[in-house]
Amino acid sequence: MNAKVDHFDPIVFERPGVTLTRSQVETFGREIDALREEIMADLGEQDARYIRRLVRTQKGMELAGRGLLFLGVLPPAWLAGTALLSVSKILENMEIGHNVMHAQWDWLGDPALDSSTYDWDNTCPAEQWKHSHNYMHHTFTNVVGKDRDVGYGILRMSDEQRWNPAYLFQPAYNWVLASFFQWGVAFHDLEVERLLKGEKSFAEYREQRRKIMKKVRKQVGKDYILFPLLAGPFAPWVLTGNLTANLTRNLWSYLIIFCGHFTEHAEMFSEAEIENETRGQWYLRQLLGSSNLEGGPLFHIMSGNLSHQIEHHLFPDMPSNRYKQVAPKVREIAERYGLHYNSGRLSRQFGTVLKRINRLALPSRRKSKNAMA
Amino acid sequence: MNVITASNSHSGTPGLIRRLGKALSTPFDPEDYLALFDPLQSAREVRARVIGVHRESDQAVTLTLQPNRLWKGHRAGQHVLLGVEIDGVRHQRCFSLSSAPGEAPTLSVKRQGEGGVSDHLVNRCRAGDLLTLAEPSGDFVLPEAVPERLLMVTAGSGITPVHSIVKSLLASNFDGKVVWAHFERRYQDLILSESLAELRRDPRLDLRLVVTGDTPRDGDQAGRLDEHWLTDNVDAAAEHTVFTCGPTGFLDTVMAWHGEHGLVPLFHERFKAATVVAGEGGRLHFARTGGQAEAAAGVSLLEAAEQAGLKPKHGCRMGICHTCKCRVAKGRVRDLQSGESRELNNQEVRICVHAAEGDVELDL
Repeated sequence: MNAKVDHFDPIVFERPGVTLTRSQVETFGREIDALREEIMADLGEQDARYIRRLVRTQKGMELAGRGLLFLGVLPPAWLAGTALLSVSKILENMEIGHNVMHAQWDWLGDPALDSSTYDWDNTCPAEQWKHSHNYMHHTFTNVVGKDRDVGYGILRMSDEQRWNPAYLFQPAYNWVLASFFQWGVAFHDLEVERLLKGEKSFAEYREQRRKIMKKVRKQVGKDYILFPLLAGPFAPWVLTGNLTANLTRNLWSYLIIFCGHFTEHAEMFSEAEIENETRGQWYLRQLLGSSNLEGGPLFHIMSGNLSHQIEHHLFPDMPSNRYKQVAPKVREIAERYGLHYNSGRLSRQFGTVLKRINRLALPSRRKSKNAMA
Repeated sequence: MNVITASNSHSGTPGLIRRLGKALSTPFDPEDYLALFDPLQSAREVRARVIGVHRESDQAVTLTLQPNRLWKGHRAGQHVLLGVEIDGVRHQRCFSLSSAPGEAPTLSVKRQGEGGVSDHLVNRCRAGDLLTLAEPSGDFVLPEAVPERLLMVTAGSGITPVHSIVKSLLASNFDGKVVWAHFERRYQDLILSESLAELRRDPRLDLRLVVTGDTPRDGDQAGRLDEHWLTDNVDAAAEHTVFTCGPTGFLDTVMAWHGEHGLVPLFHERFKAATVVAGEGGRLHFARTGGQAEAAAGVSLLEAAEQAGLKPKHGCRMGICHTCKCRVAKGRVRDLQSGESRELNNQEVRICVHAAEGDVELDL
């Protein structure tokens, strides 16, 4: 790359071995834009059939799973019922709910798959999720202090976060977060730390909490009270089946989501870095702050296609069944610009996430690239 | 005077069972699961199965529908926003119901151009297909106290809502008289002809079929609607309550005649928004997606946004259903129906019947 300083086209991006000028970054952005347009113009009946068939499959599995749990006194029925219910909850939360709420399917004009009306089967109310996730997390991806998914307010995931002794225990309580992930997601929207700092009014907090509790009551009522009661003497098997299914969904979604932004090479950013960010720079940040998981077609569907986290962050409202098709093209563009395309198998990627959690439990030795004041 | 009341009460599922079902399926509805077995099931929208496809001509079809239990019936003369899936995507348009309340709802659809909803319904809709219906609306309906002397003046597909009105009227204990003049170019274009032949046998109905471009058959007449036709052909026409529906020019003639001679009220229904070509066009700024687009004079904000590659939510495209309502942050728009131009500041407009006048910032 050109090392000469050009005042009309300054270098705006530097990493070991790579420098990009402003115009190069914008050209990169336009290439990504073109990919998006190509896919979005091609959407049609095939895609519609995909999501509708998936919804039917998921609902069918859920009915079958709940039905089998009524016979849960027989161990094979309990196992099969719990497995079906777990898979159906995972599909509903990830490949259906998460993606529908991203407005990936709004173009169908179907109120059952519309981002403005959909609510998903977990304790986090759709409306709050759309704010904290679609807006805060997707706009300010991996920006410490802005993106509250960086550690969910309780984990230290970046050197930029100030250390305190409580983080010494994070290698342990990380697993508590994983097990109760849906609760973590629901309650992290409350932004308790902003309330304590006085950045948020108590009235707003109370209103949010009321909405969360309303949904929590319905979710708990369904899985832990009504369905067990309906089973009469077999209540214990239904209850344990439902508990296990929710736990499985929690662990699985935690696993996939943590591999999306906290792997070894996933970059974190500071608020200063995103000042006056252009669209090309935003794309760059999405690429560098996200990491992909490799696997077969079933694995991609079970991960809600968040295994294509990079593509999801570049194109959050593109129907997820298309990420697989666009991924090799994104990778090709990234490589052409000398940018790291972070991709690996689940075991390797999650290993690096645990390493990060362990390392950051201790105070940072070196000064970070943009230490906060 | 006759008072006609609609009796269409449905008893829903008993409250307790319904609540239990809702609690067991939260955050969804029981119907979302029942739909696996019966696709008509829905808690949020009227879904209807096409149970009869009657070909009226090579350009028109009458569909008989079996709606789910959310359908509360319609008042004769009303229209409904119909949704149909074409290549996986739902499209919506308004159609008048041609059936009388109480019977299985029917839609009589004439094909308007290629590739649209009407084309799909006429050429590709089959028995067993699923459609959605929004709540019926429109005030082209008989007043509660039905006048004894009625004059229906229709042309082309304007026949559908009036067919519904006349059919329901004749099925009631109405003891007045209805004169119905229907204008059609050629016999082959006439829809609902079999039903008309049947209704015609009722002595309370005096049906005049007027062909403008064909040889009249026994009992029908040739002619064209002009400012004298009604006075010349209907006894004491001015003393009749008029219901009229048809193309814009046709309606204008009837309304001009009524303005001059009419002694009792007139009800009318326009199928196509009468658009005033006016205004200067402008530049659209899409606040949410960040783009811009040039909009020519007389081109609706909806069309201009679509030309720019956006897909705004919309329904009837004629100002009726309000599905397309969108917030205008600021800018001047012209109402394509009234021709009136107004300055907007954070207000909602139906983008299918408003055009830009200068810079307009839309929440799209």
